Amino acid sequence: MSILSFGNSERLFWLGRYSERVYTGIRSFLGRSGTWSSSAEKTCFDDGNNESLYCSLIFAYDNAIVLRDEIGSDTFSYIQMAVYEMNSAKKSPAPLLHLQKVNDNIAAFWGMADDIISDENVRGIIKLGKRIERVDLYARNNAGNDEIRREVRRLTYRIAKTGLHYSRETLEGLNKLAEAESIDRPEIIRKVESLIKFS
Amino acid sequence: MRRLIYSYHMHLDFETPVREHNFKLRCFPSTDGRQKISDEHIKICPVHFSTSERDSFGNMCIYGTAKQMHSRFSVDVSGTAEIDINLRIKAEPHQTGIFKYETALTSAGKNIREFHRSFEPRACAGEYERALYMMGMLCGEFSYVSGRTGINTTAEEAFTMRRGVCQDYAHILLSLCRLERIPCRYVAGMIPGEGATHAWTEIFDAGTWHGIDPTHNRECDDTYIKISSGRDAQDCAINQGVFYGGGRQTQEVRVIVRKK
Amino acid sequence: MTVTEEELCRHSDSVNEQLARYGVRFGIYRNGEFHEQLFPFDVIPRVIGHEEFSCLERGLKQRVSALNEFLKDIYSERKIISDGVVAEEFIYSGSGYLAQCDGVSPPKGIYAHISGIDLVQGKNGSWYVLEDNLRIPSGASYPMIARELCMRSIPSEFEGNMAEDNRDYPELLRRTMDFVNTGGHSVILTPGRLNAAYFEHSYFAERTGARLVTCDDLTVENDKLYFIDYSGRKEKVGAVYRRISDEYIDPVNFNRASLIGIPHIFDIYRKGNVALINAPGNGAADDKGIYYFVPRMIKYYLDEEPILQNAPTYLPYYEGDMKYVLENFDSLVIKDVAEAGGYGVVFGNKLSSQEKDNFKSMLKAEPRRFIAQEVIDFRDIDIYEEGRRVPRKADFRAFVLMSDEPVVWKSGLTRFSRNPDSFIVNSSQGGGFKDTWVISK
Repeated sequence: MSILSFGNSERLFWLGRYSERVYTGIRSFLGRSGTWSSSAEKTCFDDGNNESLYCSLIFAYDNAIVLRDEIGSDTFSYIQMAVYEMNSAKKSPAPLLHLQKVNDNIAAFWGMADDIISDENVRGIIKLGKRIERVDLYARNNAGNDEIRREVRRLTYRIAKTGLHYSRETLEGLNKLAEAESIDRPEIIRKVESLIKFS
Repeated sequence: MRRLIYSYHMHLDFETPVREHNFKLRCFPSTDGRQKISDEHIKICPVHFSTSERDSFGNMCIYGTAKQMHSRFSVDVSGTAEIDINLRIKAEPHQTGIFKYETALTSAGKNIREFHRSFEPRACAGEYERALYMMGMLCGEFSYVSGRTGINTTAEEAFTMRRGVCQDYAHILLSLCRLERIPCRYVAGMIPGEGATHAWTEIFDAGTWHGIDPTHNRECDDTYIKISSGRDAQDCAINQGVFYGGGRQTQEVRVIVRKK
Repeated sequence: MTVTEEELCRHSDSVNEQLARYGVRFGIYRNGEFHEQLFPFDVIPRVIGHEEFSCLERGLKQRVSALNEFLKDIYSERKIISDGVVAEEFIYSGSGYLAQCDGVSPPKGIYAHISGIDLVQGKNGSWYVLEDNLRIPSGASYPMIARELCMRSIPSEFEGNMAEDNRDYPELLRRTMDFVNTGGHSVILTPGRLNAAYFEHSYFAERTGARLVTCDDLTVENDKLYFIDYSGRKEKVGAVYRRISDEYIDPVNFNRASLIGIPHIFDIYRKGNVALINAPGNGAADDKGIYYFVPRMIKYYLDEEPILQNAPTYLPYYEGDMKYVLENFDSLVIKDVAEAGGYGVVFGNKLSSQEKDNFKSMLKAEPRRFIAQEVIDFRDIDIYEEGRRVPRKADFRAFVLMSDEPVVWKSGLTRFSRNPDSFIVNSSQGGGFKDTWVISK
């Protein structure tokens, strides 16, 4: 079994979260291409705003670059290429075409991470980051109740395969909230964000 | 032969508690060619792990870790030293070359060089006599004043002010000797009375080390208990530590040496 | 070679694209800010013939063996000083000598585990050693990954090609680490992402399987070194390939103001409980002043004639040399022994007469600070620039790895100056790199 440092466990988690944030963010634009506008431009490319997709991708990259030995150069290269595409998108008259390639790379990154990383925990932590981010995003962005339920179930399945410490109580609470007939979204967000604590 | 009873106490108070305190202490007189230590008692508090070793200069060190939270770290050392004025510490020339060259703290600048040029050319019987001569010249030029210099003050800085404490006297004398490539080293130790630790120098001549004390302009006698020696005060640092937390810290040292 | 050089150069872009894909960069500080940039790669390899390399190989092994003996000696009996072969001043006044290492024997007596020896080839074809790097020489990762990516981009180039495969570097490195390991994991210690060679640190970790760690991941307990796992589990570490310089490695023993480092790691190294790669204190052997003495060391320790020659060097410290340097100032290059990375290098003929006078008085005031060398008429190497072949200055860093015996990696880092008027090839000053092929027979 390989050994994983505390710092890298946290970086893997955030690599999963930021890559998901960019991916789901771009997908939402691709799903309604007619709505590309200056506000979309800002949401995507504003490098002074930590919430922009550009910054999220840079944060993913910042984590990935120090994880080369955990995830492998080939896996890393997809995040690197996503950054290049993001930079092209910024300058392009047809940004969505490049953003689509950003997502192609992120999807390839996930696929290769899943395929190539031999340590189950390392794989598991990236996926857990992704699942937590997705529940958070869906709860924020008015996804349907069934989608949220499905994502909470996937998260619950994943969390035990990471070796990370988490609150069982919070996890149970999260599942109860998700199964309820009407879903308390702010409470879902609060619970999912407090599930894993580093430090 | 003289018997001396000594005790050394040091504590560090931290404004806010610290943890994971890693320390290296160098405050333990040990038996060498001229002194014999017995009845030694050492207490370090708090401590989680510690071990002793001799460093590259042959000085006794204790290093270790105090893991748990603490706002005071203290060391107490006591024992008896027997010192024979007729005995000397021997060394081979290949062990002394390193003491001929200046270090950052003993580097001679413009003022020390100028002062050195005012000396009579060498007409002494040996390097030891030459060092005694330079010590006399230094003492005519420099006054003991505390509070003007600190542990990081260089020989050149102290000399420029013409004021300082035993550490500065020792550094300047080392700087002068090293201009003439005389092997010489810094010594941290204790002398009779109550107060802080003392510092002096050793000059290598004819196969042995000779202690001289520039602060008092005299040769060391059998009341000088040696703790450690090195190229300069930094090699003899009594306490070097790193820890988490702490804010401001205050150190207190109390040395007592009595003749038995 | 079944591919023409023109074809090769057409593929230059695709190789550089591959290098960008894998984030092959190095970092530099400009105006106090950290920047990462791609390391420009030139696709024309330096080719070294079989016979020629065999000779270099023997010379490099000999040189590193002598340097290792020298380090062992000056941190113990110092016979070379008492026998009057090396002037002690150059040892004790050099910044690389660490008094704390005196009397310490590193595991298996190895100081110089990984050495980077910088050479240049003169117009007459003969090789000269310019500099020994025994602290933390970097650069092997670049030709290693470049080879891989060239083989991917231009497979026809390698059909029936006789170049030695250089992708065995991780195995050599692994063997070097494991050989001195005192029990436990081997790790690579990086100061972090904001280090010029961070790519190399992480790539070596990936390829050797040794964990990449920072100081925070390691702790000394009960005189042993441990890696702390994210679950709190402690794993013993027996070898640390540290890419942090001596003064930052242990705040309890060296620079006490340092915020990084692992407290007590040096104490347990002294006790033989962990191997540090390379050994602390190695700087005493790669000082520019000590360089002058290396051919003498080879005779002294090995009783052999040096196979590799130094560039003709003068030490103004010696009166005769000072006289020569002052008289032949215009034809010499003067180097400040305390500087590295291509800084502190002055070409006598490039100074104005006022600057010359100033420099000469500085030389007389501080003779120990400088060495002077004849300017070697480098053999230029071609690079492709905007589709044209142009000659440029280049050097060659060979890597020697020591385990049970010294092994010379059958490749190396060839760095070139992109500026046609410059002799400075350092990447920090805008240079690029090439792969180096060693022909197998």
